[in-house]
Amino acid sequence: MATFFGEVLSVYSRAVEEDDDDLDDENEDERIHREIEEKREVHIVWCPEVAQSLEDSGSNTLQCSDLIIAVGTNAAGFLSAYVLNTESWDAVGHVSLWNERSRGSSRQSIAPLPGEPACLFYRHRDNPAVLVCQSTCYIAEDQLFQWTEKVFGCLQKRGLSVMVLSDSPVAEYKTPDYLYGSAVPFLRSLKSSASKGQALCPALEQPNILTGLPAAVLSHCQVHQIPAVLYQCYTDVISPDSITMETYKPALLCLSKLVKLEPCLSADVLRKFAIITEAQSNLYT
Amino acid sequence: MAARYDRAITVFSPDGHLFQVEYAQEAVKKGSTAVGIRGKDIVVLGVEKKSVAKLQEERTVRKICALDDHVCMAFAGLTADARIVINRARVECQSHRLTVEDPVTVEYITRHIATLKQRYTQSNGRRPFGISALIVGFDSDGTPRLYQTDPSGTYHAWKANAIGRSAKTVREFLEKNYTEESIATDNEAIKLAIKALLEVVQSGGKNIELAVIRRNQSLKLLESKEIETLVTEIEKEKEEEAEKKKQKKST
Repeated sequence: MATFFGEVLSVYSRAVEEDDDDLDDENEDERIHREIEEKREVHIVWCPEVAQSLEDSGSNTLQCSDLIIAVGTNAAGFLSAYVLNTESWDAVGHVSLWNERSRGSSRQSIAPLPGEPACLFYRHRDNPAVLVCQSTCYIAEDQLFQWTEKVFGCLQKRGLSVMVLSDSPVAEYKTPDYLYGSAVPFLRSLKSSASKGQALCPALEQPNILTGLPAAVLSHCQVHQIPAVLYQCYTDVISPDSITMETYKPALLCLSKLVKLEPCLSADVLRKFAIITEAQSNLYT
Repeated sequence: MAARYDRAITVFSPDGHLFQVEYAQEAVKKGSTAVGIRGKDIVVLGVEKKSVAKLQEERTVRKICALDDHVCMAFAGLTADARIVINRARVECQSHRLTVEDPVTVEYITRHIATLKQRYTQSNGRRPFGISALIVGFDSDGTPRLYQTDPSGTYHAWKANAIGRSAKTVREFLEKNYTEESIATDNEAIKLAIKALLEVVQSGGKNIELAVIRRNQSLKLLESKEIETLVTEIEKEKEEEAEKKKQKKST
């Protein structure tokens, strides 16, 4: 084919040929798809005791009355500082998955190192029906459904109630009014229709939406009529920060009914979970 | 809607906003608080000291800088932007002295800084300066002055003002408490600045830095001992006030 500039391009024929080569190509495509699917599969790895309890129960489910999920570094930091700081919590499992932003699958059977983005499960020793999940790794959109199905598949639906704490940047909060600096960070709530109690903060106004893991969990709870409440914290800080973590304090009211919490917390403990990055502290004076 | 009109500095949005300039004002709110007070024979600048890293030299983390012998400024916002603006202002102060054989008036140097900032809101490829500044000093006729500039390049004269984080709270305090009596003496003006800062500074006097210029004198940074003494005085006065109120209530 001659072009306007005088060069000659070779053109590939688009005539369809009924060849055996085509089948091989299809198989190769299928094979690649399958490999990608396997690579992106979500695996939950339980500790031996929990794996045993799962087997012992007829339905392969754990008895769970309350599931508390923290999505994001500030929500996870809040739980670490205020709830998981006593000695009565056991790490019982983790989720291992791979996507472009979370490359964890190479160490499927080994628990993630502390400080790494990960998805960890903790269970209270005195009240084993209370489970806490801290999710600080990125879960891709195509893996959210699998995550939710697999995690909730391990839990008995009857008597289950869910609380989700999630971080979000305030830049994504849409409001017609101007937000003064003192208002941030703040909490907004969202509930499934099965949830009866009062939420501890105003409901999330339209047109704001939830995305990611909190949305997947809440949708699942809505479909399966599990009472669930979500607290979304809008903050203007990128890194884990003690003021943002303290914003989740109203949730302590519900949590203290489930498990015994440390009564007062020193600022040093909170600071341990908050990272003050050097760039942040010297950028603004 | 903001999403399509906030990428380039030179683009107005349909409702007349320059979003980059407004976002620059948000950057100012990330800096710690600075307060400026114009007294009768003294001008005071007070700032909330940032916590310094352990290995960092405290002397090099300064929010208050002298621009000339009789003018100084405090800023809030991006540290690097402030350094550039301060350097340009200092050069302009000396250039003015050599050309006109007179020191700059506070209004002149403020106008120079504000014009510089405005230029950066109207050219392509450059972003606005992310700082607000409080400029204080005395003119050669002995009048005390306090000016404030912001990232848009506007400047105004003030009797007392605050910039940075929690500036709104401090400004409301100043609106209630800035009276002719409260600035009657130099000491009172300094104490008013400290009281204003104590409204928003955590852990009291050791996180406050104070600078004063008196007529015909150059910039003086108060020592932390002096600040502590003043803070103790202020706390005693507060207690005495509270006692008086209690006695009034009981009678």
